[in-house]
Amino acid sequence: MANIAAQRIKREFKEVIKSEEVAKCAIRVELLNDTFTELKGEIAGPPDTPYEGGTFVLEIKVPETYPFNPPKVRFVTKIWHPNISSVTGAICLDILKDQWAAAMTLRTVLLSLQALLSAAEPDDPQDAVVAKQYKENNEMFQITARHWTNVYAGGPNINKDCDDKIRRLADMGIEEHQARVALSSYDWELERATEQLFS
Amino acid sequence: MKVTIKKWTGVATWKWVANDDNCGICRMAFDGCCPDCKLPGDDCPLVWGQCSHCFHMHCIVKWLQSQPVNQQCPMCRQEWKFNNK
Repeated sequence: MANIAAQRIKREFKEVIKSEEVAKCAIRVELLNDTFTELKGEIAGPPDTPYEGGTFVLEIKVPETYPFNPPKVRFVTKIWHPNISSVTGAICLDILKDQWAAAMTLRTVLLSLQALLSAAEPDDPQDAVVAKQYKENNEMFQITARHWTNVYAGGPNINKDCDDKIRRLADMGIEEHQARVALSSYDWELERATEQLFS
Repeated sequence: MKVTIKKWTGVATWKWVANDDNCGICRMAFDGCCPDCKLPGDDCPLVWGQCSHCFHMHCIVKWLQSQPVNQQCPMCRQEWKFNNK
């Protein structure tokens, strides 16, 4: 890896560890190898959002051309959000693409992702199904996002109704996550989800 | 009493007068050099943009080369223009 990328990540790593956001447990980074090319990030779900109380793990890959090109970042923790693929964890955020600037850092990227959780951009979606629900049935979106936060990110809000419906489908032999995706996509209507799963 | 100085050695320090301690691109100290250089000073100079932001010359040139369109300051995203004053 080019010298500049590794040296900068080394410095940034120290910067994140010392930052006040780490003290508040809002963000975290961990090195995954000693060449500074792969890191694990963590952000806390922001307060007053369906993601509150959850911890979201991110995969961060630093290209050789860093900081002239952005790091590649993806959600490892499954999440229900208009700008994040519920299938792959791919993120749609301008600063990770064409709006990247060399002065941005791991810390500012993690804080921007946290801000994205507070302020979705449904008109520039990464997950069209989630974005549609966000715009057309926001109450259902909130319920679904909170439920996913509970199941995948360790959030505190258990939704018994969601869990029951998933169990009903699981009893029919459907894998739990597949059942959750189908129900989430059909506003938790058991009949429509079942129809889609068995069609 | 009369003191006769037989020998003296002058020592001077220098530093760049910049609005920050570190280069925003490589994050190394301005009084050091960019990661590609060995010696700070005239061999690895600082340059300023008209937006007043300052970088190692080698760093900002690499950044501008990596941006085929819209060459902006990495700090403030204003169009990058070298301040030649």
